[in-house]
Amino acid sequence: MIIKKIATTIAISLISSSVWAGCAFENNIELKSLSNSFDAMKAVTESMAECGNVTSVLDVDFKDKQPEAFAANPSLYQIGGVSNGTMVPLLNAGTIRPLDDLVAKYGSQLKPSQLIKVNGEIMAIAMMVNNQHLMYREDVLKEFRLEVPTTHAEMVAAAATIAKYNVVDYPIGGTYKAGWNLGEEFVNNYLGNGGEFFGEGNAPSINNATGVATLNTMKSLTEYMDPEYLVSDSTYVQQQFQQGKIAMATLWATRAGAMDNAEESQVVGKVIMASAPMGTARPASTNWWDGIVFAKNMTDEQADAAFRVAMEGIDTEMVLANNDDAVWLIDGYVAGSAAAGAIATADNGAAPYPSSSPGMGAMHTALGNGIAAFLTGEKDAATALADIEAAYTIAATEAGLM
Amino acid sequence: MKDINLIRQPIGLRLSSYFFLIFWCIVAAFPIFWITVISVKLPIDAFNSNPLNVIFGPETLSKGKGLSLIDITIGLSIIIFTAKLTTGWLGRMVNKYSPNGYLGFGWIIGAMAFGLSFIIIFFGIMPSVLSLLNDISGPLGNNILGFSTEHYSTVWFEKNFIKNFQNSIMVTTGVVTISLTFGTLAGYGLARSGSNLAFWILIIALIFRALPHSVLVTGYLPFFINSAEILRPIFGESAPTLYGMPWATVAVLVAINQPFTIWMLRSFFQKIPSELDEAARVDGCSHFQAFRRVIMPVMWPGVITTGLFSFLLAYNDFLVTSMLLEAQNTTMVPAIASMFNMETTTTDQVVAVAAAVSIVVPLFFLVLFFQRQIVSGLTAGAVKG
Amino acid sequence: MNQKTFFAFIGPSVLMMVIFIALPLATVLKQSFYVTQPVYQTLEVETCTPNFTGQVCVKEIKTIPTIGDNGKVITQTSFVGLVNYQNVLELPRVIKAFANNSWQQFISIDFWKALRFTLSFTLITLPLVLFFGLVIALCINNVAKSIRGPVIFVSLLPMIITPVIGALSIRWLFIGDGILTSFLEWWLVRDISMFAQAWTIELMMMFYRVWHVAPFAAIVFYAGLQTVNQDTVESAIIDGASRWQKLRYVILPHLMPLIVFVTLIHLMDAYRVFEEVVGFSSQAHVISLQWLTYDFLTSDLMGNRSIGRASASSMLTMIGIVLLLIPVLRGVWIDYKGKRL
Repeated sequence: MIIKKIATTIAISLISSSVWAGCAFENNIELKSLSNSFDAMKAVTESMAECGNVTSVLDVDFKDKQPEAFAANPSLYQIGGVSNGTMVPLLNAGTIRPLDDLVAKYGSQLKPSQLIKVNGEIMAIAMMVNNQHLMYREDVLKEFRLEVPTTHAEMVAAAATIAKYNVVDYPIGGTYKAGWNLGEEFVNNYLGNGGEFFGEGNAPSINNATGVATLNTMKSLTEYMDPEYLVSDSTYVQQQFQQGKIAMATLWATRAGAMDNAEESQVVGKVIMASAPMGTARPASTNWWDGIVFAKNMTDEQADAAFRVAMEGIDTEMVLANNDDAVWLIDGYVAGSAAAGAIATADNGAAPYPSSSPGMGAMHTALGNGIAAFLTGEKDAATALADIEAAYTIAATEAGLM
Repeated sequence: MKDINLIRQPIGLRLSSYFFLIFWCIVAAFPIFWITVISVKLPIDAFNSNPLNVIFGPETLSKGKGLSLIDITIGLSIIIFTAKLTTGWLGRMVNKYSPNGYLGFGWIIGAMAFGLSFIIIFFGIMPSVLSLLNDISGPLGNNILGFSTEHYSTVWFEKNFIKNFQNSIMVTTGVVTISLTFGTLAGYGLARSGSNLAFWILIIALIFRALPHSVLVTGYLPFFINSAEILRPIFGESAPTLYGMPWATVAVLVAINQPFTIWMLRSFFQKIPSELDEAARVDGCSHFQAFRRVIMPVMWPGVITTGLFSFLLAYNDFLVTSMLLEAQNTTMVPAIASMFNMETTTTDQVVAVAAAVSIVVPLFFLVLFFQRQIVSGLTAGAVKG
Repeated sequence: MNQKTFFAFIGPSVLMMVIFIALPLATVLKQSFYVTQPVYQTLEVETCTPNFTGQVCVKEIKTIPTIGDNGKVITQTSFVGLVNYQNVLELPRVIKAFANNSWQQFISIDFWKALRFTLSFTLITLPLVLFFGLVIALCINNVAKSIRGPVIFVSLLPMIITPVIGALSIRWLFIGDGILTSFLEWWLVRDISMFAQAWTIELMMMFYRVWHVAPFAAIVFYAGLQTVNQDTVESAIIDGASRWQKLRYVILPHLMPLIVFVTLIHLMDAYRVFEEVVGFSSQAHVISLQWLTYDFLTSDLMGNRSIGRASASSMLTMIGIVLLLIPVLRGVWIDYKGKRL
């Protein structure tokens, strides 16, 4: 049995050099890509791999590795997957390549909205948009005759009702893992409440009534979450949802498709996507885009090949096969029920992630490290926010921003 | 010689020793046993909240993947038989056939040959024989325990874990050989020199041993990544990018491992009477000749023990290898960590568990092989100070 | 042995340590007194990005790093003295906390929080490791020869298993409805969340460390027990020593050098605790010194790393370990001098 398998593997690896299923050309140049890891990105990199000689690294810690790897000469990766947040360090360091010439040569199928331009130069190709929105178990809400919550207060009220009956383990799920995830939750809610992160000269301005209100909202939600919420990341919440353990959660749009994956999910067809709950100003969510960048430190042949491979990766064929994995910007995409929440959130006026503020990186890190102390009851809201501002000030001063 | 401890032991104390050891063995082995069980089940069973379902795997069984009583009996007996051979027979064979003074190499070759033949028998021949047996033995051949190897084949065949395995072999072999070569020389030098300099080198090495590795690695990272650019004035266009090169990682691991190695080996050499090499020196040997002719033949117990610790360090290292090797070309441990990092589904998670178990298996056999050497090596060196 | 031969013997090893340990360390020391910042410029930048319905272009005044002629960001490095150390230690907040007489406030400051955990982790696990190591070794020594082999084999497993995997396998036993959490819930008839509060996480981290290191101590002690002088034991028994006295006055003194050895290794390894923080995702509740350094080094979303603070915190970590080791090092010195004389 095993021997047979080994034999087939060898056989496959021998013939695979001549299989270019789904790729218009045969790539002969060794290419590498580094990106985040989620289903849509997997689909794109698998589609790129069909052209041959492409190795893809998908890693949730990609953002720690990309800046150095792209700064090397020659660059360690030719292709990079980025989002609006993670493109900034590459752009600031000048390690990614302007793409106008390549778009003119090979990018005829790209829509104008896919071209990310900085001062008129095309710097990246966007493939999808993303935000966090509400997912809820329709059957559970129906059972208790609950309306779909539109604000966090309503969400908490609904959770209180659900918690009285033993239908799910925890009414609410949240990606509150200390660090980046927790920071992101605060950013969503604070922007939803109309908060501003910075005052004059990158000085922090979160220690105010809006900040305190935001923290209190977050805490009220955590009371209905799995008590281990400080270690729950997106995958963990997605799994809890799939196993029917939670009834409502604000989760990334890219996780919507997984709810109806019959191999994993026990709640197929029961999860409905809706707009993220409203803050006082706009939805408690941020809009992101994901796309592809190309290293500056590579030869023109490599750049040509990398761009053509990437175009194969984000072609219509890939979208048709993976329609529900993301809200694609690519031709051929049909918004299905999985995208309903993301689009509703955007229609309600969600703000883009404020990646253009130079202090946002330090702020996000300080938030991610500092909020847990409030949620565990170690500090009160004002102290927690003051300490976060202090941590931010040190980091921003060290980075030369203040 | 009669062990007086044994004779005068009151029965109560002996019984409580047994009970404590049973308890300890369960604590020691359970987590490892449990990940092994999880790795051979389909996701629904693997993360079931009822432990019996995890062990028996009804869902896995219902998909027609399982083991019969015959499979279990024969499989277990082969494993136990192998374990017996490993602990006793193999050692004797190696001792018997190794050329004098090359016991270390004898062990390596013996272990490799043995491991290879086990893999061939266990994974190659056994499954087909067993399926034949199951077919002809009626009810005994029915599956009773959910068991699926699909995650393992995903790991090894689809995820190309073989490549990571090769890298691991390359890095560990490099680290062990170089560490021991440099370490025995330095350890001998330090053991035979009573100078203050030797003392300070040892103390500084001790402090180096205590340094957090993340501090050191950040020191190299920028240099490794930009080495092609930095070294271009010296080497011209052929200047290498050290980042991602297994040999560069080997050098780093050897250095990090040196303090422990020289301390261990120094204490072994101190146990070897210096009259031995002094006698050789009187006969006209230089220090190096004395070392080669007189010391090398008697140093193997110490070298094997130290080598094992070097092996563990290199094989188990995560921080250095994950930061200095390219993600798709790493050794096994960082490869696993990235599997856990990119998991988005429960299946991915079980696959990563299977990979984790795959890493532990060679260590398992390593302990079987060298158990006696570890204990006797430590006894011989008694690792003083 | 003359100087020249001595250097020939130790040369390769020392060279490796100088290149890969001493030099990076010197760089770190230097960096801890400097800050490197990009030179910023303020520009009007027009950025066009997609949203859900189309494309939006925004013109903004932005602070961005200046890129030089060689295509690299222009940076300036300035000597800042002890500022990095101040930023890590946050002394004003420490003083304030003491003024308020608040221990709680004091250990909520990152560095001191990390130091508190690192020290308690090291000092609590140390006696546990020594105790369990000794008990296991004595028990193995107490049972029939035929089962010693298998028991030693099983005992070694936690020691040799890859730390990352060991930590993860313990984590899986407890996280969510993990098997042991389910068992505890069934036994105590209540809901248990092991990852929800600091003390349970700390407990698991210490459990993991003791599980991982006790076998090493046990094997070293067991090896030591094999060399106990049987005549001394026998005469102690003839003198009417009780079992406890035999252990206290004969066996423990014999094992003393090994106890020091295990203590030394354990202090060094436990002090740089890191895998546990990552493996048990404990950073919301407890952090360790090495994790703090690692966190400073991790770049934020804008690609900034706090190299200065990371260097300062690693120097402080190093000073800490040297202080911890001083009593042991003194022993080594006396031992060494004694041997020479």
